[in-house]
Order: sequence, then structure tokens, then C-alpha cells
Amino acid sequence: MSVLLQQLANGVIQGALIALIALGYTMVYGIIQLINFAHGEVFMVASYGGLATFTLLPDDLKKTPAVALPLMFVGGIAVAVLVAVVMERFAYRPLRGSSRLAPLITALGVSVFLQEAVRVWYPDATSNLPYPKVFPEGNLSLGAVNIPWTGVLLIVLSVGLSIILQTYINKSRMGRAMRATAQDPDTAKLMGVNPDRVIVLTFVFGAVLAGVAGVMFGGYLNNINIDMGFQNGIFAFTAAVLGGVGSIRGAVVGAFIIGLIKTLSGQYMPGGTQYDYVWIFVVLILVLVFRPQGLFGEPERVRA
Amino acid sequence: MRKHSVKSAAIVGSALLVLAACGSNKDEAGGNNGGSCDTSKGTLTVGVVAPLSGNLSALGLGIKQSAELAVDEANKKCTVPGYKLTVSAQDDEANPAKGAQAATKLSTDPNVVGVVGTLNSSVAQTVQPILQEKKIVQVSPANTSPTLTRGAEFQTAPKRQYDNYFRVCTTDDLQGPFAANYLVEKAGKKKIAIITDGKTYGEGLAAELQKQVTKKGGEIVGAEKVGEKDTDFSGVIAKIKGLNPEAVYYGGEYPVAGPLSKQMKDAGLDVPLMGGDGIFDGKFVELGGKEGDLATSVGAPTESLATAKSFVEAYKAKFGKEDYAAYGAFSYDSANVIIGALAKTVEGGAWDESKREAMLTNVAAYSASGATGEVKFDEYGDSTNKVLTVYQVTSSAWKDVQTGEFTG
Amino acid sequence: MSTVAISEKRSALAPLGKPLAIAGGVLAVVAALLPWVTFSLNDGNWPDKSTLQFFDAPFLVTGFRWHMLLFGVFILVAALAPTPSRGRVLRALGWGTLAVSFINALYITIKGGGLGAITALDGEVAFGGVVGVVAGVLVILASYGIGIEPVADWKFKVSTPVAYLVLLVAFGGVLYAVAAMLTTGGVGASNPYAGAIFLSFLGFAGGVLAALSGVGLVRWISALSEEHRVFSVIVLAACALLLPFTDAGNEYWMTVAANIGIYAATAIGLNIVVGLAGLLDLGYVAFMGIGALVAANFSGAATAYFGFSLPFPVAAAIAAVVAGIFGAIVGSPTLRVRGDYLAIVTLAFGEIFTRSAQNDIGGFTNGSNAIPGIPALSLFGAEFNRSITIGPVKLPGGVLYYILIVLLVAATMAVFANLKFSRIGRAWIAIREDEDAARAMGIRTGKMKILAFLIGAMLAGLAGAVFAHKNGTVSYESFKFLESITLLAAVILGGMGSIPGAVLGASLLFVLPEKLRDFEEYRLMIFGLALILIMRFRPVGLIPDAHRRAEMAEKADENAEEAHVEARKA
Repeated sequence: MSVLLQQLANGVIQGALIALIALGYTMVYGIIQLINFAHGEVFMVASYGGLATFTLLPDDLKKTPAVALPLMFVGGIAVAVLVAVVMERFAYRPLRGSSRLAPLITALGVSVFLQEAVRVWYPDATSNLPYPKVFPEGNLSLGAVNIPWTGVLLIVLSVGLSIILQTYINKSRMGRAMRATAQDPDTAKLMGVNPDRVIVLTFVFGAVLAGVAGVMFGGYLNNINIDMGFQNGIFAFTAAVLGGVGSIRGAVVGAFIIGLIKTLSGQYMPGGTQYDYVWIFVVLILVLVFRPQGLFGEPERVRA
Repeated sequence: MRKHSVKSAAIVGSALLVLAACGSNKDEAGGNNGGSCDTSKGTLTVGVVAPLSGNLSALGLGIKQSAELAVDEANKKCTVPGYKLTVSAQDDEANPAKGAQAATKLSTDPNVVGVVGTLNSSVAQTVQPILQEKKIVQVSPANTSPTLTRGAEFQTAPKRQYDNYFRVCTTDDLQGPFAANYLVEKAGKKKIAIITDGKTYGEGLAAELQKQVTKKGGEIVGAEKVGEKDTDFSGVIAKIKGLNPEAVYYGGEYPVAGPLSKQMKDAGLDVPLMGGDGIFDGKFVELGGKEGDLATSVGAPTESLATAKSFVEAYKAKFGKEDYAAYGAFSYDSANVIIGALAKTVEGGAWDESKREAMLTNVAAYSASGATGEVKFDEYGDSTNKVLTVYQVTSSAWKDVQTGEFTG
Repeated sequence: MSTVAISEKRSALAPLGKPLAIAGGVLAVVAALLPWVTFSLNDGNWPDKSTLQFFDAPFLVTGFRWHMLLFGVFILVAALAPTPSRGRVLRALGWGTLAVSFINALYITIKGGGLGAITALDGEVAFGGVVGVVAGVLVILASYGIGIEPVADWKFKVSTPVAYLVLLVAFGGVLYAVAAMLTTGGVGASNPYAGAIFLSFLGFAGGVLAALSGVGLVRWISALSEEHRVFSVIVLAACALLLPFTDAGNEYWMTVAANIGIYAATAIGLNIVVGLAGLLDLGYVAFMGIGALVAANFSGAATAYFGFSLPFPVAAAIAAVVAGIFGAIVGSPTLRVRGDYLAIVTLAFGEIFTRSAQNDIGGFTNGSNAIPGIPALSLFGAEFNRSITIGPVKLPGGVLYYILIVLLVAATMAVFANLKFSRIGRAWIAIREDEDAARAMGIRTGKMKILAFLIGAMLAGLAGAVFAHKNGTVSYESFKFLESITLLAAVILGGMGSIPGAVLGASLLFVLPEKLRDFEEYRLMIFGLALILIMRFRPVGLIPDAHRRAEMAEKADENAEEAHVEARKA
């Protein structure tokens, strides 16, 4: 019983992490119908950005988590936003209006490029790097279940930020512009919405969330590597698809489902943890076959 | 207009790439290798086949650079009179098919005197026959699968597979059982859980350990796999924890083992983690390896070996940091085997392809003390160095606790 | 295209066009004769006797020096002789000159440890690189002064024998160029500069090729070959079979070429799925893996599942069928799932395949230990990996594999071409363009999509069977996600839906990393960057499918119109 509860807790924490990344996928897809494969790498780069920020801090600040930790978030988010904006501007924007395959291939290219760039240019990034110990240590113990405080923080951040994002998109003027662009870019343009700005902003939002996720990931697991972006990116994308691409709520729910499937299938399904991947994809395929638009997605629109 | 600026930006970008690509060689340009030696007879090449790109590149680069160190030293000491030696490192991308191409590339060069490599046993399987065809000696610093030298039935009916293949590292069927003996007999851990990364090295090690643990009266309470690129092990740990093991054996390398050990402790599973030479690395502790964790490694402890210390110092002097990784010392020894045998082969004569046969004999007869201890080969091409040491993490550093030979 | 920008430039540079071009040409020749390095580099002189004086030993002028000289002469000819679409030709030559000078100068600078290496140091002067770069820039400026006209269209018709002759010469030239490209920088591991020499050669080849295409020759020849398709195919196949007899005919290139062929055959299969039917597959290499595993298990290798061996043709046929069945299974969600969602399903399948293979599912894959020791193929007692001697000619080892694979590629190309122009092919293209419309026209889209997966996977399985014997080991490590991406990139680089495209794409993607082994640390990074740049500058691929080309042209027109309207607004 305690194992089940522990695995449920693990699943929820993983889901919280995946949700932060999945939101970036789902927003970009909602607006320009692009599977931004490189979004996972934005998350990875953010993690290294946070680590680099810490390394650059003077020694006395390194020992003050209250200062170092926020600075790491700022550093990580800044790097993520920078990478996302440059990527949008120079890789995706010139391809707008071309076939749907072209930006997808570009995204794969960006993904490979970013991963390799970090591996080659970040010192010692060829193998896993330890993350600094500036995060709250210890566990929240509920009976036999241990939840690290970093995990608790991750859940709070993930849920909090998605609520803020959802509210922003539903209530603010810019949010309305985003929704309008997602529905019909041409009409939105006629209504005075600048699509370029909306798209850049979408990428920026995604990058901020990925930045938070990247730094939290390091804090929660104490180690990062260059493959973390691809792996979690796949999970996040799967979560976005599961929830229905374009839907914020869907992405978050999808992410928690993925997290839970991963830990529970590893525990209870035959083959154990080495097949957790497989079960995630099996569920995904089933959902897609019986509900192609995902759990919360609208049926596919026909676009002119 | 804009289109051109984008184009030129792309060109400048790729130029910068090339710039950076060459930048890494800058140091070499300044030095003067083996200036004082007689190199009138030309240049001979020591090949290296290892993953130099992708996620195993840390290990691959360690192999490459350690071989370069050995060759450099040989050039300075004029070990091979009349010749200058160079290293030609070929990337195998940890992919058997690419490894075959790399090996073929080296094998078409008449000046290649031997090959150091590979890292992965699966790549070795494609490289072995290609090099054998040309009688090029191959010395592996890292292949631990016993089948490479003794065939599929290595325990019951060993049979030499390739007469050109040697290795300086030990095999799974020694290291695994040695670890098992320590865990069960010395440390008194009867309930052991196994985690592997699913790769040849870890799987082989864990399989051999498992046999010996059962033989010695211990119990394997569970076996799980993690991905070699994973960072989050909470699922596996929760599962293992439910089985209440007294120790966890990890078959794999330190990038996973370190964080795994830390996350085990954080999750309340505070039992020692043990692994093979793949986790015996300073980085293991840096990445979260905790007090009391164990590792086996080949040879006697480094502190007791002058050759090992001087390797570490020389490496640091040449490359500025100690990133020789798990197989650096083995690679250094492998390269020295080739160089030593070469010196004997060309003594007083000149190199040509017909000398390769003599190279094989000389490598088989090679015997010296290297950075990993005694370097010598048995009739299958395996290292005769069967001395193993158990290390334990004590005040954030590896410390040897038991040295000996595996005797069953 | 931004016509406005060009006309602006013309006003400033137009009168200077010709003089600039002539000056650039002369400078390029001068650069070829000047010394490039002030001292001898550590690993020996910079390629091919860099400090060589032209007048002492003119016949030893080789490598980049020779290329610069040729560029200079070509530029002068193009500037002075009546050349069709002169600006375009000059632009290509200018970029070529710039590339060759820049690559060499940069490499020398870095290897030599500073700018002193290419300027003046210790009383030695070497301004060749600088002059070359200036020459390149001048010529590029000149080309904009002259103006970039559209590619010339050669109208004249030739009789069939002459056309045959032209095609023979052209394909002979291609064969020569391929052999030259493979052997630049030397074979084997000995030349420390091989990577840089190759890059420089690429600059040269690219410049010349672009100039030839600018002058209209390439278009004319491709029109000719279209006209005489059967003859072209035969000559092309003959050229491919002649490669072992050139300088590139050594064991190393035979191995690489054989691997390229295997991936090319797989890429052709993928081209059916992606290029014709428009279904994106991100886990395609798994089908090749399945084919390889099946063949390995029937090969009689020690760790094979079955204790007996089947003759290769039978094993290959089974491999193709099994892969095809899996193809149909993976394709079945396409009945419900569309577009990008399908991409993720196929990606999932690829991952499931590697995980299962790593865990020795069903005992077929031998897990992480792989299946080693698969015997080489043999025919009438001749083992395919040995060298063979026919009369006085000794052919390198692996040549029989090469021939087998050329035949395999030719066969898959034939299958592809036949399908493409058949009823099925048209159905696929219809589905790609508009699935709903296709369904409305009475095409049974579900069946057709699964058929695309099935046939594509069969081709991949067949290629995988050859792969197993060629490499002797089948390990899950050979069939990872990156391989799927590389295959997809090959299809796209070559041109989706185009018949020779996949072969060209696969060749480039496998030859370039081999030639650039010196930069192996940056291999993947460059690969990623290349994907981005290709999509940015040539999304239709190098050899676009005729149908696609038309489609893109329409789109370009639309875009131009839009741009025009916007320009007016502003």
C-alpha cells in the first residue's frame, strides 16, 4: 500500500514537471500548428542556464540560497527565452506559409543543434552534471510516503503557473489576441492583431515555463544531462496530444496522466520499468484511435 | 536584401563553427612533438575507434586523449626509433555499423600499426573481423563481454575468437562474482536488488554477479532497468524499496549511478549501492554517490602503483584536467602495448604491412607494468591481471577496502 | 523574389560590374600564385606544397591552388565572353572563390596559431588568402552590378545519337566528380588536413556546379535525360558499377558506399510513405531493424533464434514480409489519426522497437549482446567481403556487396518509379494533397495508406536483411531515433517524392560525415544546422519532384503577389 502511495506521489511530481513543458508545446501548436520538437531542448538549455548562473555567482552569494535560487531562475528563464525567440525568428518565421513538413524538420534540426551545442560548448556537459545544493532539502513525510520539498515546490509552481496562464489567456487583451490568432490568423490580422507579436509572445510564455521547469528539474533530481530535453520533451508532447493539442487544461491533465502511467506501469505491469515508455505510448495510441482530438481538444477544424 | 543578410549570417555562422572546430587543436600547434628524435623513416599511426560524439563521448574522449598521451610520451622518449607516431581517432558513434566503417578506414591505411578500441562490446563485434582480415592488432580498453575472446560458451568451452584481439580490462565473469563475494561474505548483505542500464556492460556484470550471489547463499530480491540517459529514478527506487534490499547492485556507469545513489538516500532507501569499474570515478561522488557506496575495479589501488600516479599527473599536465574518465588508464595501457610491441617489431628494420603478423606475436608476448597494474595477455587475449580491488566511498572519496584475486 | 532590392543595387553598381569582375578574376589568379602560409605548419606543409612557386614547378600546382587558378580563369571568361545569364554565373563563381579562400585562410590561421600565418611573419609574406577573399567579394559585388537574370533556357534540340553522347559525357563527368570528391584529402588515416582539404574542394565543386547550372547547362542536360529516360537509367547504373574501378575503389569506400546503398534503399521506402502518401514517419528505421533481425535469426549465427540457416534470398523475402506486416500494423492507426499525430505514433513505435530489442523480447534479439557473427554472403564460393581478381584487375574487398547493393537500390528505384506513375501512386499523391477530396473521388484512402506503409516497410526490411549480412552484427544500437531522423532528412534533402532524390540525399548524409571525420565532434551539430538551412533555403530538396516543383512555383507566385501588395501598402 505504501508503495502504491509513494508511486502515486512520484507520478504526480513527474506530471507536474511534464505539465510545465507540455504547456509550451500546446500553446505553440495551438497558434501555428507546429510540433516544436525543439521545445524540449529549450527546457534543457534553461537547466544549463540556471547552472551557469550559479557557477558565475560570487562565492558568498552561492552560500545564500535565498539570493542564489531566484537568480538561478532568472538566469535559466533568460536563457530559455533568448533561445526560443532566436529560434522563432530565424528558424520558424521564414518558413511560415510553407508546407507543414518543413517547420517540423527544422524543429528536429534545432533540437539536434541545441543538444550538441550544449554538449560541445558547455564545460563537462559530455556527462551528467550535478546541480548545486541551494534548494530546500529533506522530505515531506506523510506516513510511509516521502515527498521531497523540491517536489512539493514543483507541484505548486506547475499548478500555480498553469492557472495564471489560463487566466491570462482568457482574460487579458493579449490573451484574446492569442486566441483569435489561433482560430483564424487572417481574420485576426484584419482585426488589428499583429500575428508576429502574438507568436513571439507565445514562444516566450512557453520558454518561461520551460525555464522554471528546467531549473526545478535540476533541483529536484540533483543532476542534469543533455538528453533530458528530448526525453521529457517526448513525454510532454505526448501529454499535450493526449489532452488535445491547443488546450491548456488538456496539457496539464495529460501531463499528470502520463506521470502516473509511467510510475504505475513501472511498478505493476509485466516487464517493469524498462517498458514504462511502451505503456505511455500504448495509452496514447488508444486515445488517438478512439478520440483523435485528444481528451479536451476540439474536433479538427478545416482550414482554408 | 533581408534574404542576403540571412544568407551571410548563415555563412558567418558556419565559419564560426569551423573556427571552433579547429580551435580545439590550437595547443598542439604550438608544441613540437618529438623534435629531438630521429623520425627519418616516416610516420606510423595508432588508430583509435571510440564514440567521440553523442552521449557516450565523455568515455570516448577519455580513451582518445589517453592514447594520445601514450603516443606523445613515446615520441618524446624515442620509443620507436626512426618513426614518429600519431593517433588517428575515428568516431564510431557507439553504432556497430559506423564502427565497421571506422575500422575499414583504418584498415586501408598501411601505416596503421594497431587499433585501440572499442568502448562498446557490440561495436567490437563488427570491428574484430575487419581488423583481423588485415592482421591489425586490436587492444580494447573497455570491452568486458567475455564472449569477445572466449566465444559464446566462454565458461564451458572457451575458444579464441580472433587472434588479433586483446584487451587490458577485466571481464564480467571475474568482476561480477568478485563483487558478489564481497557483498555476501564480507559485508553480509544477503538481500540484493539489481538495477542495470540495459547495456552490454551493465547487463553482463549483473548477470555474473547474480549467479555468484545465489551460489553464496544470498538472494536477488528484484531486478530493474533504467535508461542510460535517465535522470529521474523515483519510480524504480520506490519499487525496489518495497522489496527491502540490504544492498543495491548497479550494472552501468557513473553518470546514472551517482544520481541514483543520491535519490535512493533521499527517498529513504539508505543502503549501499555497489557497481563495477564503470562507477569507480571521482564524478560518481560529485554526482551524489553517498558514503558507504562500493565499487570494484581492476588492479591494485592507484595509490600503491607509481605508474598509475604518473599517468594521472602526465594526463593532467597535457590536457589540463582529469577527464580521462573510466577507461583512460586502460586506454593508455592499450596504446602502450601497441607502441611497445611496435618498437620490438621494427627494431633495426622498417615497417611494412608484412610486419603485422609479427606485431600479433609481440603483443601476445607483451609484458609490462602499466597504469592499471601488470599488463600481460593469456592465450585468449584476455588480460592476465586478475587482481581486483573493492573501493568504498569514505569522506567523499574512494578508498580501497579489499584487494585480491577472484578465486571462486 | 525581391526584385526591388536588385534594381536598387543595380543603380549603384551597374557601371562597375564588368571592371569589378575582371579585377576579381585577375586577383583570383594572382592569389593562386601567391604564397599562402608564412611558415610550415606543424603537421607538415599546408596541403600540396603550399609554399610552392608556380614558375618553378607548374605541374605540381594542385589542390586549392589549382582550384583558385581555375576560378580566376572562369571568372575572366564569364566576364569577357558572351555568357548567358552572366550575373548568375559570376555570383556562383564569386561565392566559390570566397569559400575556397576563406576556408583555407581560416584553417591556416587557426592551425598556425594567429593571423601572422596568413599575412607577414618573420620576414615571410603570404597574402594569398587575403587576396583570394578580396577577389571573391569583388566578383560577388560585380554579379549584382550586372544583375541576376533568370537561368538561361537552352532551346536547341539535338539528334538522338548526339544526345546519347552528351549524356554519356555528363554522367561520366558525374562519376569522375564523385570519385574525386571521395578521394580528396587522401584515403586512410594519414592526412592530418583531410577534413579541411575536403571542405575546400566542396567550395570549388559547389561554385563550379552552381555556375554550370546558372549558365543553363544543368537544366538542359536534365531535360535531355528526361527525354531519354531509359538510356539515362542504364548509363547511370553503369556509372555506379564503374565506381570500384576508379580511385575510390578501395575497401573503405566500398564499405561506406554499401552502407549508403542500404540506407538509400530504406530511404526510398520512406519516400513512398512520406513523399508520395504524405504520411510522416519518425520511427522508420525500426522496419530496417526488423528486417535485419529476421535475416540474422535465419543466418545460422551462433546466437540466432533458429538453429538453422536459410538461403539468403529466402531469408530476405521473409524479412521483407515480416517488416511489411509490422508496417501495416503501425500504419493502421492512420485510419483514424492524421498528420502530426501520426508522427508521434510512429515515433512511439520506433522507441518501442528499440526498447524491446534491447530487452531481448521473445528471445529474437539477444538483448544488449546483439547477434554477432552473421556469416558474410557468398555466391559460387566467393565470399562477398573478400577482394576478387578478374584477370589483371584486382577489385577491393566488399565490392560484391557494393554490386549487390547497387542492384538492390536500382530495383527499389524501379519499384518506386512504377508505383509512382501507377494508379496506386496517383491515389497516394491525391491523399497527400487533400485526403477528403481523394476520398470523395472514390479512393479508398484507408487501404491506400496502409498499403503505403506496407510497401515502404517491405523495402526497408529487404535493405535490413542485406544490412545484417554486410555488417555481421545486428544490435539495437544501430536503429535509434537519430537514424530515423537521418533517413527522413535524406528524403527531404533529396526532394520528397522524387526518384533519384532519396539516393542523392542518403549519399550526401552518409558521405559528408565520413569525409569530415576530422571535425567529428561537431558532426551532429553541423547536421542539425544543415537541416535548418536546407528547410530555409531549399525546402523542395536538391532534385525536386516535377509535380512538387510546379506546386511550389505556384506558391512562390502567390507569395510574390502578396509581397507586392504589402510593399505598395508601405
